[in-house]
Amino acid sequence: MKQITNRFFLVVSQMGDAIYFLMDVLRNIFKGRVRFNEVLKQSYEQGWQSAVIVALTSFASGAVLALQGHVVLSRLGAKEYIAQLVALSLLREMSPVFTAIIFSAKAGARITAELGTMSVNDQILATRTMGVDPMEFLVVPRFLACFLVLPILTLISEIVGILGGYFIGVYQANIPGVFYINQTINAVRFVDFFSGFIKVFFFAILIGWICCSRGFTTKGGSLGVGKYTTEAVAQSIILVIIFNTILTKIILTFWG
Amino acid sequence: MIHVSHLVKTIQGQMILDDISFDVARAEILVVLGESGAGKSVLLKHLIGLLKPDKGVIEIEGRDITKLSEEELLRQRQQMGYLFQEGALYDFMNVFDNLAFPLREHTSFDSRMIAIKVEEILKMVGLEAAKHKYPSELSGGMRKRVGLARAMIMDAKILLCDEPTSGLDPIRSRDISDLIRQVSRRYQCATVITSHDIDNAFRIADRIAIIQQGKIVIIGTPQALKSSENHFVQEFIS
Ligand SMILES: Nc1ncnc2c1ncn2[C@@H]1O[C@H](COP(=O)(O)OP(=O)(O)O)[C@@H](O)[C@H]1O
Ligand SMILES: [Mg+2]
Repeated sequence: MKQITNRFFLVVSQMGDAIYFLMDVLRNIFKGRVRFNEVLKQSYEQGWQSAVIVALTSFASGAVLALQGHVVLSRLGAKEYIAQLVALSLLREMSPVFTAIIFSAKAGARITAELGTMSVNDQILATRTMGVDPMEFLVVPRFLACFLVLPILTLISEIVGILGGYFIGVYQANIPGVFYINQTINAVRFVDFFSGFIKVFFFAILIGWICCSRGFTTKGGSLGVGKYTTEAVAQSIILVIIFNTILTKIILTFWG
Repeated sequence: MIHVSHLVKTIQGQMILDDISFDVARAEILVVLGESGAGKSVLLKHLIGLLKPDKGVIEIEGRDITKLSEEELLRQRQQMGYLFQEGALYDFMNVFDNLAFPLREHTSFDSRMIAIKVEEILKMVGLEAAKHKYPSELSGGMRKRVGLARAMIMDAKILLCDEPTSGLDPIRSRDISDLIRQVSRRYQCATVITSHDIDNAFRIADRIAIIQQGKIVIIGTPQALKSSENHFVQEFIS
């Protein structure tokens, strides 16, 4: 029982620290302490690292949706709806969630590992001894880069995913290409795009927050870096999936 | 320049610094000697405001830094240099950029001026050839030299070095110790060095403080320590 209460207090105090950390990040941003060069540098690194793998998995996801859609919809005699199935699935759910998960595993891991290494090698303390706020110099750019990059990656995922569906729809299901594109354009309403895309900003905050704060507070040498990094990635992915459910419920209540 | 009085710090209920008092004058080198876990790093971190004491006063040039906010401390630290045990250089920057970093942050020097400053300080620590190397390509001793150069690039008036000889062989230990003394003399800075390396402490110190379990056992010139009657001191330095 004592162990359980201790553990409970540990979790509460960690959450308190994490919330304080987020406040500190936001305080820096609202005070205008943003280094745009650093943000761009981080965005570039995070973006390139994840773009190719996001494109590949999205193409595959779009294709597999079309493959399954072809089989299932053919049973109902409605295979011309493949385009709708693919586009709406991707925009409303799959692209935002999958992209956030891949981003956690690639860019998120990188953020925690980099900041964690700097923490255990005293580089973060050294920043303070040189009279520079490490929050401003090291954390805020990474946090903002998540905010910039994840939406762009999601857009890439949506476009490439639809291409993957098109590929199967045209070459496997023998739907005329022009018809497929028209079906897609007609099917997608702004609300479909918007209700999926708005989630991405929550995911970006979630991933940036968890991965930056875990990295920044890493202790225990190289072992610690490994431990904190895997923890941060696992937590990001779990929270993205859970938050997605909650957000979906809320969003559908308004824009069902 | 540095005035510390009745400094007390407990961490997690454990007394780490127990009523520490000392002064360091301009152009003076104080070596704080003590075994591992004696509280040397904790003491040094207090001097640059990375840790706050429970009680006591730390004055740097007459200003009590224990009362400063983190923002004021950031400004205060521009006048201070801190050499970390492993150098703590940014591993994503090469040597030149590491040294230029404080100048770019805190001065309005143009790139030509920055280059001159960096060249000059690299020459002082004897590492002109390593300008374009990354920290991972340097040996432990070289990293500490660059760390020292970075600590001094803003012409610090206070220099703090945490175990500059740890992890180095005897010859390199001696070299870095001599270099610190030379730099400290040249810039006339109040210098505090922590160490458990007795030989080099006696080589370069103007005064030595021996610290054990968070208390200063004795403080004085090397000669005074050698002729001390104190049992612990004799055992420690023999
Ligand atoms: N952040 C910390 N949390 C808990 N204990 C600490 C912390 N930092 C230092 N200590 C303890 O303070 C004592 C002195 O540490 P330190 O100053 O690092 O010794 P050293 O003289 O070897 O540099 C040690 O017993 C260490 O365990
Ligand atoms: Mg130490």
